[in-house]
Amino acid sequence: MWAYFKFELSQFITNKKNIAIYAILLFLACFYAMKIAPSYEPIEKVDAKEIEARYLSREAFLSTFYNDPNRFVGMAGFGLAIYPEWNNLDKARLDALKDHDFVKYSEATSEWYVYANNITYGNERFFYSPGYYSHGNLYASEDGYYGYLYTASRYKGYAEGDYKLSLNVFEERTALQTLQRLLHSDLPMILMICCIFLTVDVVLKDRLNPTILRGFPISDWKKLIIKGIVSLIGSIGVILPLSVGLIIIGIRYGFGDFQLPVPIYTTLSKPSYFNKGEFVNTAMGNYLVDNVIFIVFCFMYLILLVLLVSMIIKNEFANLLAGAIFIFNESFFFQRGIGFFYEVENYPTNYVQVGQIVSGYRNYIYNSNALNFNHGLMIVGMSTSVLLVFIFIISKYKRYKLI
Amino acid sequence: MRKLLKTNFIIEKSSKKNVLTFLFVALFVFGLAIFMENKDVGNLVIQKTSEYQNLTSALSRFQEMDASQDGDSSDIYQNLNQQQRLVTLQRAAANLDRPEMFVNSAIELSNLRKVAFDLEGYEDVAVYLPTYTENQLESIFYENLRTLGIPIFKDNLTFYQFLIFLFGILGSIWFIFLAFYSCGLMIDDFRHTSIIKGYPIPFEQYVAAKGISTLSIILLVIVELVICSLPLIYFRGLGDSSYPVAVFDGDFEIYTITQYIGVCLLYMVCIAIFVILLSIILNMLLKNMYLTLFVQLFLFTLPMLLPKLISLFPFNPYNYMNFTSLLNGESLDLSNPVVLNSTHGLISILLSIVILVVVIRLFLSTGRLRRV
Amino acid sequence: MIELKNINVQFSGRDILKDVSETFQPGEIIGLVAPNGTGKSTLMNVIMNYVKPNSGKVVVQEKYQYTSKKNEVKIHQLVSMMPEQSDLYNHLSGKEHLRIYCSMWNSNPKLIDQTIKDLGMDSYVKKRTGTYSLGMRQRLCFAMQIVSDTPIMLMDEVMNGLDPNNVELISSILLKKKEEGKIIIVASHLLENLEKISDRVFLFKDAQLINANEITSGYGKREITTVRVKDLTDAIKEMFYQEFPNTEIRSLSSGISLVDVSNYDLEQLARIVIFFKEHHITDFSYGNVTLNDLYSMYYLENVKR
Repeated sequence: MWAYFKFELSQFITNKKNIAIYAILLFLACFYAMKIAPSYEPIEKVDAKEIEARYLSREAFLSTFYNDPNRFVGMAGFGLAIYPEWNNLDKARLDALKDHDFVKYSEATSEWYVYANNITYGNERFFYSPGYYSHGNLYASEDGYYGYLYTASRYKGYAEGDYKLSLNVFEERTALQTLQRLLHSDLPMILMICCIFLTVDVVLKDRLNPTILRGFPISDWKKLIIKGIVSLIGSIGVILPLSVGLIIIGIRYGFGDFQLPVPIYTTLSKPSYFNKGEFVNTAMGNYLVDNVIFIVFCFMYLILLVLLVSMIIKNEFANLLAGAIFIFNESFFFQRGIGFFYEVENYPTNYVQVGQIVSGYRNYIYNSNALNFNHGLMIVGMSTSVLLVFIFIISKYKRYKLI
Repeated sequence: MRKLLKTNFIIEKSSKKNVLTFLFVALFVFGLAIFMENKDVGNLVIQKTSEYQNLTSALSRFQEMDASQDGDSSDIYQNLNQQQRLVTLQRAAANLDRPEMFVNSAIELSNLRKVAFDLEGYEDVAVYLPTYTENQLESIFYENLRTLGIPIFKDNLTFYQFLIFLFGILGSIWFIFLAFYSCGLMIDDFRHTSIIKGYPIPFEQYVAAKGISTLSIILLVIVELVICSLPLIYFRGLGDSSYPVAVFDGDFEIYTITQYIGVCLLYMVCIAIFVILLSIILNMLLKNMYLTLFVQLFLFTLPMLLPKLISLFPFNPYNYMNFTSLLNGESLDLSNPVVLNSTHGLISILLSIVILVVVIRLFLSTGRLRRV
Repeated sequence: MIELKNINVQFSGRDILKDVSETFQPGEIIGLVAPNGTGKSTLMNVIMNYVKPNSGKVVVQEKYQYTSKKNEVKIHQLVSMMPEQSDLYNHLSGKEHLRIYCSMWNSNPKLIDQTIKDLGMDSYVKKRTGTYSLGMRQRLCFAMQIVSDTPIMLMDEVMNGLDPNNVELISSILLKKKEEGKIIIVASHLLENLEKISDRVFLFKDAQLINANEITSGYGKREITTVRVKDLTDAIKEMFYQEFPNTEIRSLSSGISLVDVSNYDLEQLARIVIFFKEHHITDFSYGNVTLNDLYSMYYLENVKR
């Protein structure tokens, strides 16, 4: 067993294709760190000028209308009712920024976002930050709602925590936060695509030297398991080239802290003001560990899927196709809000956006409350076990011999 | 040549790869139809509602002022205000099924937007609005609809409408699909060298036959795309093949759906030949299917990763491989805008094909077919 | 007709073929014998132009040489080499393979069915070759070359993995093809069989082709030339020399001694029997020097040293 494992591992490492994958990832990681990360434009920036402009214009409004006899005509009264508090928060933020008191800034900002959201959501006269309203976005205010409360929760965490705060932390530019953002977008897919490419030929390559390999005194079942383990190790190994990019980002913008808050959207406690869920902070370390565990589960699922297809169809394109269907299936069927009508949480393919599952964002846009880490692990884990059983049964059949 | 094609036919007809490819293409077309149905692509009411919201958000960046024409507000603010009014009108027209009103206000809207580009303060609100190119395309599209007196289509799942959408998506993935399909073209042969090496056939002819048979399978794939879309005629109707499509081919122009699809097909075939030839060369050099694939994909994504390259080398054939974004004039909206002309694109790809053919003739011979 | 003219091949400074010149005539089966790695395959590869010789040339049918790609095609129309088993398309049937070869060389399609019948491949020829056994694959490779029907055929290890029945079967087809006037060059380690079917046998020695006939007078003649004795001790050998002076004995590493009796008359031959009988040697036979003997004479002694 051990010898076979070493044999497979050495084949895996010396495989030109695999080396190329690691090289490409290294290139992409560096490219991202040097070119893309610096040009990141967060929607919620730390912008004293913007705060000041808003503050001054509202102050002007307040001072004009404060004693105006017509102040209860039209919307002016509404303005008079909400602006004083809002402006207080803005003032607190401005002062904190001027004093470089990041803790105070965090406190005020957190409150500011909660307050702003309460007034903005569902209101036709107030708007979220412009970044949500890009041309063609049909769900700008929903995105704004999520974005505001996410930011509020984040700043609340900053105010409470004891780690070094900086503008980079506020704008989520540090290495760990960049990783978190990436996990929330395309990184899980990229990792899974790599996993498929790393696994795609792990069984079928043996067909090139059948006579040597067929005779190894190990059963097909054990061979498959070892091949799977090797692929899994290789797939987890993609962390190495990617971490180079993270180190570059870390050197430029700081590494961040494993205690940094990551807001998780959750609906488990009492419903909030707008009958939606609320955000609860978890530590960055926890968030990353959850992600890694989930991604490893997805890897296992994908690897077993590829192994199974390799045995049945014996064609590398079939492997790619099967993997691609798993990864891209959701995007064909996805519709915002359908979680309310369908049990979206029971399909393993709905869990490929790992970062969004862990952070609860998928629940938010599916309008569901069941797509969470634990349920996901159970679903993907069960599917994995089913695949494992299939592979076990098939490996006992003569008809589907490995080579 | 005929005998080679016959041989290739025997080999290809039972190849699993082809079966899988045809399966994949069918799945893709059906998946796309489901996707469009789910996303309600082309629902004008939803589109206009979102546009309305965006404009309101843009307006909220200004302090409320007198927006009448002789009021004291800035020009851009007035402009946005009028845009919003027109969008409201359009939404109403879409709701009440008044295509003429919709088109008229669309034309007015695009004219307003044209003006807006030159107004002071446009940069601040640019994110809420369509880009210059998008607006131009819309403008000529609606102008044309009005001239022809065709009502605007609301069902994008009729056969012809679906084809535009399908070919539009294909534009961005056609190259990737081909790269996957052709990456093992010669590698398969490396596993049968002792059979192939002795054929009494010059190597160029062998490669040509290989290319032609691969190309014919790809043509079959294109036919399959159309066949799989045919059921839509039954479910949603045929649509109108002379319906206009606004494109940028050096100038902003109107094509009919037939013309548009024609250009797409032309591109698809040329790109197919290009990718096949390059795969052959890369196969011979790298002797590895995945390395070939990775190199192809890398070359394809390079102009996207470094958009500066596009203006630096406008004749790079890879600038034209995504023919949807080409026909949408997307290169005009880059930070270094370039005019990429679809005819030049074809010339560039064809020239590259010639170069690849010369390379194959000069440098590759049967002797390079060695076992891997 | 195929002519090799002063062919030299070197791989990393080592001579593989050195100044090889030979001519093969239509209606000949040529046997090539040598241990692995001594240049048999290289020679065939040179004939096919898969390996470019450092110097020298191959002339086919007195007019074609590998001077241009066009000529290469013309020569390949005339010369074919047997495909290797591992190169078969596993997803195609045997018959489809034959069809491919038939159409590539524009040969008579009737040959396909004829060859299938001759080789007894009917029962499996329509199945995918992925399911074939070693022998079935080997027969298919052979059949493919027969179907290509070229005037010159090169076969490397043609009898690999075949049972004695099939060896006979293929030998008979080879002889038939020879009758049709083809040049067949066969490399094989089944020496007895090769000896039987070949018109000329060449051994490789020091990167050169050596005609077996020229090695010893006792090979390839249709009369008694040699007595083969097993376990001849040195003492008996001495006595033998005394009794039969001017007789040559060669002891091979295989434990067999060859007594050269090419000029002996009947009476002398009889005396040898009596001599052996007197010295209690029972394991001996009269005949020719076989290819097996030549092989051990040539190569095994080297190994031993």
